[in-house]
Amino acid sequence: MVIQVENLVKTYGQIRAVDGITFQVNRGDIFGMLGPNGAGKTTTVEILEGLRVADSGKAAVLGMDITKAAAKIKQQIGIQLQAPALLPLLNVEELLKTFASFYHKSIPVTRALELVGLQESRKVVVKNLSGGQQQRLSVAMALINDPEITFLDEPTTGLDPQARRALWTVIEGMRDQGKTVFLTTHYMEEAQRLCNRLVIIDHGKIIAQGSPAELIRQNFTEKAIEFETVTPIPEATLKSLPGVTRSAVEDGSTVIYSNKVTATIAALLDFTEKDRTYGELANLHIREATLEDVFLKLTGRKIRE
Amino acid sequence: MKAFRGLLIASFKQFFRDKAALFFTFAFPILFMFIFGLIYSGEGNLSYDIGLVNQDISPAGAATAQGIKSVPIFKVTEGVLDTTLAEMRDGKYKAVVVIPPELAVNVSRGEVSNVKVYYDPSDMASQTILPVLRQVIEQINQQLSQRPVLLAIEEKSISAHQFGGMDFLIPGILAMSILFLGLFGALPMVEWREKQVLKRLGATPLTRSNVVFSQVFYRVVLALAQTVVIILLARFVFGVNMVGNWFLLFGMVILGTLTFVSIGYLAIARARTTESAMPVIQLIQFPMLFLSGVFFPIEIMPSFMKPIVAVMPLSYLGDGLRQIMVEATPQNTMPVNALVLGAWFVVSSLLAIRFFKWE
Repeated sequence: MVIQVENLVKTYGQIRAVDGITFQVNRGDIFGMLGPNGAGKTTTVEILEGLRVADSGKAAVLGMDITKAAAKIKQQIGIQLQAPALLPLLNVEELLKTFASFYHKSIPVTRALELVGLQESRKVVVKNLSGGQQQRLSVAMALINDPEITFLDEPTTGLDPQARRALWTVIEGMRDQGKTVFLTTHYMEEAQRLCNRLVIIDHGKIIAQGSPAELIRQNFTEKAIEFETVTPIPEATLKSLPGVTRSAVEDGSTVIYSNKVTATIAALLDFTEKDRTYGELANLHIREATLEDVFLKLTGRKIRE
Repeated sequence: MKAFRGLLIASFKQFFRDKAALFFTFAFPILFMFIFGLIYSGEGNLSYDIGLVNQDISPAGAATAQGIKSVPIFKVTEGVLDTTLAEMRDGKYKAVVVIPPELAVNVSRGEVSNVKVYYDPSDMASQTILPVLRQVIEQINQQLSQRPVLLAIEEKSISAHQFGGMDFLIPGILAMSILFLGLFGALPMVEWREKQVLKRLGATPLTRSNVVFSQVFYRVVLALAQTVVIILLARFVFGVNMVGNWFLLFGMVILGTLTFVSIGYLAIARARTTESAMPVIQLIQFPMLFLSGVFFPIEIMPSFMKPIVAVMPLSYLGDGLRQIMVEATPQNTMPVNALVLGAWFVVSSLLAIRFFKWE
C-alpha cells in the first residue's frame, strides 16, 4: 500500500470540502478519484502532496505520516497541479533542468521529454507552447524525479480531444512501467479507460469505490438503451415497458436500463408507432452501462464538464 | 545548495529575457543620467537679459552703467524708460535698471540717489539678479564715496574637488535605481503567487527560505551590476569620479537593496494580482523619490516636511552614497545612515515574514 487515508476532514468555514474520507492506493495502481467540480478532489490531492493541512484524520504516503515527513515524501512523489504554473521565459529543457535541481535524484531531461512526447519542443520557450504541450510539460515536470507516486490533478481538463488522447497514452506508459498514478478527473470516460481502481466522490464524501467494471456490475445488471424524442415520454410509460428497471432524461436524451433488451426495444418501437404525441424516435442505440450511468444512478445528476 | 543554484540560474535567465525588466533596471537610470546631464550642461553659459536706462549724463552715471554692464551673467541693452519697460512686459528683459538724473550732483552733495530696479517677483531669475545687482551697486557706491574696504569675503569650498550638479545627482540616481530594483523586485513574487508557481515550488522539496533567499540574492547581484554601470558612465561620460572606498560603496548598495526588497515584499504581502500590487508599490515609491532629498537638496523643502524626510530610508541611502561617492557634506554620519537603513530592513522583513501569503 503506498497511500493510506483514514477519515480525512478539511473544512473551509462552513464548507466541508473533504468530509471524512477513507481509502487506500496500492503500488502500481492507476488510481482514479472521480467527481464533479467542487467535490473535494483537489483538496484531497493537495493534502496528500503536503500543500494543505487536514483538520483531522490520518494520511500516510509511502508509509510516512504526511504531517511528519513532508520533505522526505516530496522527494519521492511527482506533482502536476491543475494550473500548469511554469516559468514562461525559460525553454522546455531549462525548466526541466531547474526542477531536476530540486531533487536528490532525477531522470535525464531527454527521457522525461520522451515520456510525454515533447522531444521536438526541447528548445522552445515555454510561453510559446500550446495549451496541450504545456500540460504535457507539466506532466514531464512531475516525472523528472522518477517518482514512486505521480499525482495528476485533472491533467486533461481544457485539452482538445487529440491532446487528451496523447496524454492518456503517456499515463498508460506509466502504468506499463509499474508506476503508481493518482489521477483526479471529472471525465468518466477517462477514468473508465485508465484506472484500475477508483473512488467516486461527491460533496466531500466517497459514494462508491472499486474497479470500473465492479462499479458498473454492482449498480447495473442491465444494458442502457438511449434515444431521443421530440418531447420526452413520461417515466411511468417507460417503466411499464417489459424489462425496464429505471429511466432517466437528460438534455432531451432518454436513457432506459433494461435486462431484456430485445423485448424492451420491440415494445418501445411499437409504442411510438401507435402513439405519435412524442414525435419520431431518433438516435436509438444500445450500450453497456458506463461510469457515467453509475454516477447518474448514485447522485441523480450527470457529472458535468 | 544545488536547488538554490538551480532556482537562481532560472531567475537570472528569466530576468535577462524580460525586456521590460531589463529596461527598468539598466536603460532607465542611464536615460535619467543623460536627461539630467543635458539640463546641467546648459548651466555654464547662463545669462540674463537686463534693460538699462541711464538718465544721467555725468561721468558718475556712465561709470555706474559700465559697472552693471561688466557683470558676466548680464546681457545689457540700453534704451529709454518707456520703451524699455514696455519691452520688459513683453518678456524681453528679466529686469530693468534705471539710473536717475543728477546723480553727479547728488553725489557731490552727499545725498542719496535711488537706482530703481524693475523686476518680476514671480520669476525665479530675479532671485539671482537682485543680489547680484545689490552687490554691484554696493561696489560702485564704495568707489564713488571713496570709503575704504575694511571687510571682505573670501569664498572657499570645503569639498575636496569641484562640486557640480551632476555630482549631486549621480549618487541620487544610484539611490533611485536601488529603490526601483528593490520595490519592483517584489512584483515577480506576486506573479509567481498569482500563477501558482509558488504553490508548484512548494510541492517540490525546495524550502521557502530557499525560494526567498535566491530571489533576494539575485536582486543584490543585479544592484551591484547596476552600480558598476552607473559609476562607469558617470566617470567616462559626465566626468564624475567615484572618490570613496569601493567596499564601503558596495556595502551601502547591498544594505539599501536588502532594505527596499524587504519593504517591497511587505508591500505586496497580501496583494492578489500584479495589477493590484503595482499601485501599492507606486504609492511608496513616489513620495520617497521626491521627498527624500535624492534629487532636490533637503534645504529647499519647507520645514514641516523635514520630519517626513527624516524617516524615509531613501534619505539615508542617498546621503550615504553621496558621502561615499563624491564626498558631499554629510546630512547624517555614516553609522546613522547604516543604522536607520538596517532598522528599516529588520522591521520590514520581520513584518513581511509575518504577513506574506504564499497562496
